[in-house]
Amino acid sequence: MLGYLVRRTVLAAVTGIAVLTLAFCIVRILPGKPSHVILGDFASQAAIEALDKRLGLDRPIWVQYADFMRKSVMGDWGTSMVTDRPVVDEILRVLPWTLELTVAALVIGIVLGVPLGVWAALRRNGAADYAIRVASLLGLSFPAFVSAVLLLLLFSIQLSWFPVISARTGSLSAWAQSLALPAINLGLINAAYITRVTRSAMLEVLHEDYVRTARAKGVPWSAVVWRHALGNAMIPIVTVVGLFLGILIGNSVLTEIVFNRPGLGKLIVGALNQRDYTMLQALMVTYTLLVVAVNVLTDLVYGVVDPRVKLQ
Amino acid sequence: MKTIWRSAVLSLLTILAATPALAQKRNLVVAAATADAGKLDPHLTSLGADKGMLNWIFNALVRIKPGQVNPEFIEPDLAESWTANADKTEWTFKIRKGVACHGNYGEFTAEDAAYSLKRAADKARSAFAGDLASIASADVVDSHALKVTLKNPIPSLLGLLANYHGGMMVCKKAAEELGESFARKPIGTGPFMFVEYQAQQFVKLAANKSFFRGAPQIDEITYRYMPSDATRDLALQSGELDMVFGRQTDQWVARMRSVKGVKVASIEPAELNMLHLNIKAKPLDDIRVRQAIAHAIDRKGMVQLLGDQVSREAVSVIPNGNLGTTTLSLPAHDIAKAKQLLSEAGYPNGLTIKVIVSTHPTLSKITEGLQAQLQKAGITLDMQPVDHPTWHQQIRKDLSPIVMYQAFRFPVADSYLSLFFHSAAAIGSPTAQTNFSHCDVADKEIEAARSEPDQAKQKALWKTAQEKVAAALCGVPFSESLQVWAWSDALDLGYDMAGSLNLVPDLTEKTRFVR
Repeated sequence: MLGYLVRRTVLAAVTGIAVLTLAFCIVRILPGKPSHVILGDFASQAAIEALDKRLGLDRPIWVQYADFMRKSVMGDWGTSMVTDRPVVDEILRVLPWTLELTVAALVIGIVLGVPLGVWAALRRNGAADYAIRVASLLGLSFPAFVSAVLLLLLFSIQLSWFPVISARTGSLSAWAQSLALPAINLGLINAAYITRVTRSAMLEVLHEDYVRTARAKGVPWSAVVWRHALGNAMIPIVTVVGLFLGILIGNSVLTEIVFNRPGLGKLIVGALNQRDYTMLQALMVTYTLLVVAVNVLTDLVYGVVDPRVKLQ
Repeated sequence: MKTIWRSAVLSLLTILAATPALAQKRNLVVAAATADAGKLDPHLTSLGADKGMLNWIFNALVRIKPGQVNPEFIEPDLAESWTANADKTEWTFKIRKGVACHGNYGEFTAEDAAYSLKRAADKARSAFAGDLASIASADVVDSHALKVTLKNPIPSLLGLLANYHGGMMVCKKAAEELGESFARKPIGTGPFMFVEYQAQQFVKLAANKSFFRGAPQIDEITYRYMPSDATRDLALQSGELDMVFGRQTDQWVARMRSVKGVKVASIEPAELNMLHLNIKAKPLDDIRVRQAIAHAIDRKGMVQLLGDQVSREAVSVIPNGNLGTTTLSLPAHDIAKAKQLLSEAGYPNGLTIKVIVSTHPTLSKITEGLQAQLQKAGITLDMQPVDHPTWHQQIRKDLSPIVMYQAFRFPVADSYLSLFFHSAAAIGSPTAQTNFSHCDVADKEIEAARSEPDQAKQKALWKTAQEKVAAALCGVPFSESLQVWAWSDALDLGYDMAGSLNLVPDLTEKTRFVR
């Protein structure tokens, strides 16, 4: 297990260095300069050049690269070119918002998706199966920003149960209230994915010999389904959950915008629009680290749900 | 017994008197349409949303009366009065006494005013240095007198020193002490003081109880950053917001007007929508092609497309309502004439012209409307959409022979004419600004008007300049888009709203909730 962890960590480090280089290159390939965005269309060429100098963008590209790599390795991510605030502070300030939304959406997705997928598989081609399949297809096809507005119209305007602006106001209940709608919005989409994967994985294992054997031995049907069948169907489900977790962190941007929550997605869109090089670089690295962490976590969960992976 | 009764009646009266005050809302929540704040430094930010909010924190030597945008409404602000010499190159401003900078940064004096002007004129610290290039020096005469010397007379020094862009006054001690972090903790003298910033959420301001015009009647302002149009509308409807930036469409205006308790206003300044045609590049160097484009555009049709509640027809090559705007006779919509002109120019089968277009929803919608109109005359706009920052960069490299630009500038004719139609502002020149057409036909008049002391003659020069630019078809103006805001009808702004130079309604010491 230790060797496995070391291998994964080394691989992650190499990925990290490659990402640093890519992050540096990609933001500079983008046309449009931060100085134009910061100073706007009122600024003269002289003012733009002066700002370029202050931001260090007048230096040769390789000097900028060497400086970036050196500072990154030392943990100095610099300050935002637009707001002058330290990028790490900015990211750390919004990271908990994204993480809590992602985790809540994932929990909703699993709690709804797995039982529905199992139920649909058990009722294959029955009314329940069709209903669940149609519902999950709708969940996959429905744009997140549309469902978000519909949720707001129903629960915030008509019923006045939740605030339109989802931001914590201090108390636990206020926090839960502000998290509920965004988490449901993302969670339902997540549940649609998990339902479909669970259903197809269950359909495969339900026809396996060991399931028939277990039933022949008189094992209760619920134990056969939940322990024997679902236990063996877990690998594809965990894979999808892991993949989806990475996607969810990135895809939360629309939900964050509509519910007016801070978050990484909103931060990266803003940085992209403003060509905030330092912020973009740090965000790309943050996303990569998150995805790498999720992948490592997924691999570790494989080991838990399938002992054969642990042995390898 | 009598004493008890008297006490009871007095208590009751006290409670009754206090009840309306207790019930009255004193915290205001405003939503901007951006995702986050930029630099909160009045000399650096170019974001409309930031400029509007900073206008509540800072003052200038003079101000345009709240609710107005025209320089004729300029009135004293930090300067109580001023005098100028005969040729208007030396101005002395008497600074108001007893004005306190926010926090513990002392009294605002002539030294702060001189520092602010030097800072705003420094290209390393200001985006608006170019605007103040005519100022030779700003000297302290005494603690409450400032002398401003100009290199040459200019059309409106008071306009430059008003509460807009480089005219904003900062407190020297705060700006020097805070350095670059001043943009994260702005210190001014205005009715509201900066308290807190939460990334992607809000900026919180508190009333400046010692504001020189009197304590504000609003205790706290939360300025929220909300890029989603739908969420802003719903939050206004639910009462979570008191004022929102609106969408420039008639449908939005009609919908919000139907919401109970909401006021909607289309306000000045209007941004002029104009096609800038590069008169030095083929095929637009042929005036017949430019004339064909001008005749192919239907101004009424564009206003219908954009909505007549939020837009109006253009009247000149500069925005309507500027000091010096002349209503011109612009080319009539005439497709047959457009086709004939194209034929004469050697394009009997029409022609295709490349246009780099911003994906900004408003700009792309306008350009698509123009594309459809021009197509009827055989002019195909080959639209190449790019994101907004890329568009800004590419049009400043002369990569688009036609530029659809929406803008307003300080409402004095000189500003728009100099920035868009004077050869010194042409793209590619060392002093380049936004002259995308490379227009140079009215340089003489624009320059002469700048230093003309007689206002009637100055206006005549601006009129000639506009006529020359329009005749040369450096640009084809077609419509103007107004700013759209909605707010709770319980909010009394404290003035009659006609517009706001900083694009966000002024919130003053008189702004209050009436219930």
